[in-house]
Amino acid sequence: MSQLRKEWDGFNEGVWTDEINLSNFIKANYTAYDGDASFLQGPTERTEKEMKRVHELLIAENEKGGVLDVDTSKVLTLLTHDPGYVVDKDTDIIKGLQTDAPLKRGVSPFSGFRSSIQACQAYGYEISDKIKDEFLYRTTHNSGVFRAYTDTMKKARHAGILTGLPDAYARGRIIGDYRRIALYGMDYLIEQKKEDKDKLGNKDILDDETIRLLEDLARQIEFMVQLKSLALSYGCDISNPAKNAYEAIQWLYFGYLGAIKEQNGAANSIGRIAEFIDIYIQRDIEKGILDEIHAQELIDDLVIKLRLVRHLRTPEYNDLFAGDPVWVTIALAGVTGEGKHMVSKTSYRVLQTLYNLGSSAEPNITVLWSERLPQHFKEFCAKVSIDTDSIQYENDDVMRRMYGDDYAIACCVSAMKMGKQMQFFGARCNLAKILLMALNGGRDEIQGEQIAPKSPAFEEGILDFDEVYTAYKEYLKWLAKLYVNTMNIIHYMHDKYAYERLMMSLHDTDVERLMAFGVSGFSVAVDSLSAIKYAKVKAIKDDRGLITDFEIKGDYPKYGNDDDRVDLLGKNLIEFFYKELCKTPAYRGAKHTLSILTITSNVMYGRKTGATPDGRKAGEPFAPGANPMHGRDCEGALASLNSVAKLNYACCQDGISNTFSITPEALGKDEDNRIDNLVTMLDGYFEQDAHHLNVNVLNREKLVAAMNDPTLYPSLTIRVSGYAVNFNKLTRDKQEEVIARTFHQAM
Amino acid sequence: MADIHSFESMAAVDGKGLRYALFFTSCPLRCIYCHNPDSWQKSGNDYSAEEIFNKVKRYKPYFKNGGGVTFSGGEPLLHANFINEIYPMLKSESITYTLDTSGSVDLTNDVKDALLHADLVILDIKFHSPYDYSKYCGGDFDKFMNVGRFCTQNNIALWLRTVIVPGINDKKSDIDKYLELTKDFNYEKYELLPFHTMGFFKYEKLNIDNPLSDCPPLDQKKLLELQNYLNNSIKANK
Repeated sequence: MSQLRKEWDGFNEGVWTDEINLSNFIKANYTAYDGDASFLQGPTERTEKEMKRVHELLIAENEKGGVLDVDTSKVLTLLTHDPGYVVDKDTDIIKGLQTDAPLKRGVSPFSGFRSSIQACQAYGYEISDKIKDEFLYRTTHNSGVFRAYTDTMKKARHAGILTGLPDAYARGRIIGDYRRIALYGMDYLIEQKKEDKDKLGNKDILDDETIRLLEDLARQIEFMVQLKSLALSYGCDISNPAKNAYEAIQWLYFGYLGAIKEQNGAANSIGRIAEFIDIYIQRDIEKGILDEIHAQELIDDLVIKLRLVRHLRTPEYNDLFAGDPVWVTIALAGVTGEGKHMVSKTSYRVLQTLYNLGSSAEPNITVLWSERLPQHFKEFCAKVSIDTDSIQYENDDVMRRMYGDDYAIACCVSAMKMGKQMQFFGARCNLAKILLMALNGGRDEIQGEQIAPKSPAFEEGILDFDEVYTAYKEYLKWLAKLYVNTMNIIHYMHDKYAYERLMMSLHDTDVERLMAFGVSGFSVAVDSLSAIKYAKVKAIKDDRGLITDFEIKGDYPKYGNDDDRVDLLGKNLIEFFYKELCKTPAYRGAKHTLSILTITSNVMYGRKTGATPDGRKAGEPFAPGANPMHGRDCEGALASLNSVAKLNYACCQDGISNTFSITPEALGKDEDNRIDNLVTMLDGYFEQDAHHLNVNVLNREKLVAAMNDPTLYPSLTIRVSGYAVNFNKLTRDKQEEVIARTFHQAM
Repeated sequence: MADIHSFESMAAVDGKGLRYALFFTSCPLRCIYCHNPDSWQKSGNDYSAEEIFNKVKRYKPYFKNGGGVTFSGGEPLLHANFINEIYPMLKSESITYTLDTSGSVDLTNDVKDALLHADLVILDIKFHSPYDYSKYCGGDFDKFMNVGRFCTQNNIALWLRTVIVPGINDKKSDIDKYLELTKDFNYEKYELLPFHTMGFFKYEKLNIDNPLSDCPPLDQKKLLELQNYLNNSIKANK
C-alpha cells in the first residue's frame, strides 16, 4: 500500500504500512498497561438484555438434548444463509451468526458425508434430498482418505494404535489472521493474493506443488470475495480498513465467522486479537468517541458471539472430545521479542467478560505467561482463575523462543505464528498400547489380530527391562513411520477436498506448515517401563497366548513424584519418539511437531487398551495429557508439576498439557493468600521451562452436586486437560473420572 | 536419620506462602481429635538429612512469596537434632523452615536451637485447662506454655492455633479462656481450625478406637463466628 490510508490516522508508521505485518503494527502502536483492574466496567443494560436471551437459548438447547436446531435443507457455507441476530439488528452490536438463527447448526459435509448424516440422525434430523443429491457425485475428504489408506493403516486405526485421526471430520487447528481484514481491508488483501498468483504463474516450470498452490490461491481469492458479500448482507463494507474500534472488532469477527461457516474443524481459534483491538480502542478513547463502559461492551458482545459458535457433530465425536467444544481459543498477553510485556487494558477487558457474562468454557481464554508480565496482571489472572475457573496458562518465555512474539494458540496448546504458520492436525497415537503390542509380537492384546510386523512374543514370566525396551523401540520406529505416512494421506486429501479457503487466505502465501503428531497414554507407558525396570513384573498369558495381565512384586518409582529415575525414562521416551517421527518426511515439507495432549479422550483410549505393566487394569482411563496417573502422585501437586516440567518442549513443540485441580481451601486461607499463592506457583512452574497448566480451583462438593443434578450449576466450569468444558455436558463416566483425579485437598 | 510419615509439596495453608511440608512420625500426645493417628507409630521410612534436603531444594522456585519448608508431624520437635542437622543445608540455599508443633516437649538445647532457627513457629494451644489437656491429649500443660514463652522471650515469630471441636471447646467463653491463657505470648496471628472427619478412615484402617467417631465436623459458619470474635477480642485488648 503505497500511500497511507486515512483509516490509519493517529497510528505510528512502520514497515506494516508497506507490507502485511501485524507484529510490526502492534509493537509500533500498542499501549502497555501496568496498572490494576480498577478501571474495568460491568455490563451495560444492553449487554444484560442480550445475555438474558443467550441464557434462554442455552436452556432451550439443553432441554432439547444438546442441539437446538439444525438446518438440513442446504449445505452451510458463507452465503447460504440470511443474516441472523441474537436479539435483533439494532441490539446486536457485533453482528453475524453461522446460520440465520442463534444456535441453529448448519450441515457441512465436505470432510465426511456419512458423519454429517449420522450427526443429523442422532438428534432426530434427516439430511435433505437436495444435499444428498449434491454429494452423490462429490468426493469428500473422508472418502478420499479411505481410498488411499493401506490395510495396515486401517488396522492400526481400528485397533486404536492411531486414534482420533481427522479422517472423518475437518482437521481444524488453523488460525486465520483475522486482524488483517481490520487493518488492511479486504480489497488490499485480495490484491496481494492476486499478485502472488501472478508471480507464481510466471515461474519457468510449473511443478506439482506450484500448480497446487495456484489452485489454492484461486480458491482463497474466491472466498475472500464471498466474505465481502457476507459482510455486506449485515450492512458492512469490509473492502476498506476499519475506521474505529467497533469496525476493527466487527471486521475481524466477519473473518472468523466466514471461516467457521466454511469449516467445522475441531478447534477453530480466533488467535491473538486483544492487544490488536486495544490499539483501536485506545485511539477512539483518546479521540473522545469511546468511553470505558462502551469499550467493555464491544468486547462483551464479541465474546457473546464467540460463545454461540456451534458445529454439528456426531455423538462419537462428542464421546471423543467430551461435550460439544469448539475451542475458540483466544491468547492474551505475552512479551515482545524485545522483552517488553504486551499486557494492554484489553487483555483485562477480555478477562472481565467472565464476570460480566458469567464464567464459560468458550472462548478458551489462554494467558501467555511470562515472568515479565506485570504483577497486577498476574494477580488479576489468578483472581479470575479462582473466581471462574476458566483460564489456562502457557509459558510465553518458552514459546517465544520458537514462535516469536506474534503467535497464537490453536485448540489447547498448539502454538503457531499468526498468519505465517498453519498446522496439519494429527490427533495421537497410543504409547501404552504399542508397548503391549511389542510384548505380544505385534498382535493386538484385545482382538488378538496381527497389526504390527510379527516378531517373537515375550514369554510368560518376569520381564527384563532391556529386552522390553529394545522391542518397544523397534515398534515405536514402526509406528512413527506408519503415523507420518497416514498423516500425509489425510492432509493430502484434506487439502484436495476440504481446503480451508478463507482461513488460508488470511495467511502468507508461502506459509510454513507444521505437522502435529501426538501421544496418549504417556504416564501409563512411563510407569510401565519403570515398573519393569525397578519392580518385578511378571507377564501372564491367556489361552490365546496373549500377554493380557501382569503381576507386580515390589514397588517402583512413579511418574509425578519428582523422581528422576522414572521422570527421565519419560523424557527420553518422548525424545526418542520425536526423532523417529522426523525421519519420515511430512507432506508439503511440513515440520514435525509433537504434543502430549488428550482432552478427555484419555477415557476412550484407556477403554481400548488392555491391562498394562504398571498395574492399570484393562479398560481403565489413562491420565489426561502429560498428567501423572491418578492417585500415583504421592508427594503433592508441586512434585507432580516438577515431574511434568522435566519434559523437553523442544521435542514437544505442539504442547505439553498438564491439568491441576485444587480446592480454594487448599490454595490459601483467604482471597489474598490464594491469589498470591497461585501467582507464585505459576511463576515457579514456568520458571522451570514447563509449558502449560490448566488451573482448576473448585471444591469436590460442587463437583459432586453438579454431577447429581446437572441443573444446579448451569454455568459451572471445570477444566479438563487444556480446555474448559461445561461440566453438565460431560458424560457420567467422565464426570467420575474427573472427580477421581487427584485432588490436592487440605483443610 | 529420621522416620518420615509423608511429604506434601503443595502445603499452602501451613505457614506463609507455598510450603513443602514434611510430616515426621512419633508424637508424645494422643489428642482425641487427631487427624493423623497414622503418624503416632514409626513408618519405617528413614531418610537422612541430606536426602530430605535434596528433595526440598527442588521446590525453591515456589518459595518466592515467603514460602519454605514446614516441619510437621507427628511432633517435629521430637526430631530437633535432625532439624538442626538439616538447618545449615537449608540455610546454604536460603530456604527457611516453619515448625508446626504441639510444643509438648522439654526445652532441651536441641529444641531451643530448632526453635531459634525457625522463621515461624506455629504452636497448638489445644485446651485451655491442664485438666482438659491431660484428659483430651494426655499431655503436660506446662510444656507448650514454656515453648510459647521461649518464643516470646527470643522474638521468634509465632502463630497460635486451636482446633475447635463441637461440644468441647466451641463456646465464646472458651475463646476468652484461650486468650487469657496466651495473653503474655507475642504472636502474629491466632488461627482457629475446624474439627473435621477426614481422618476417620485412618482410625478404621489402623483398627484403633476413635473417641470422636460420633462427633460431626465443625460448622464453617460457627468457625467464622468464633474466629471473628477472637480477632475482635485481640483488637479490643490491644
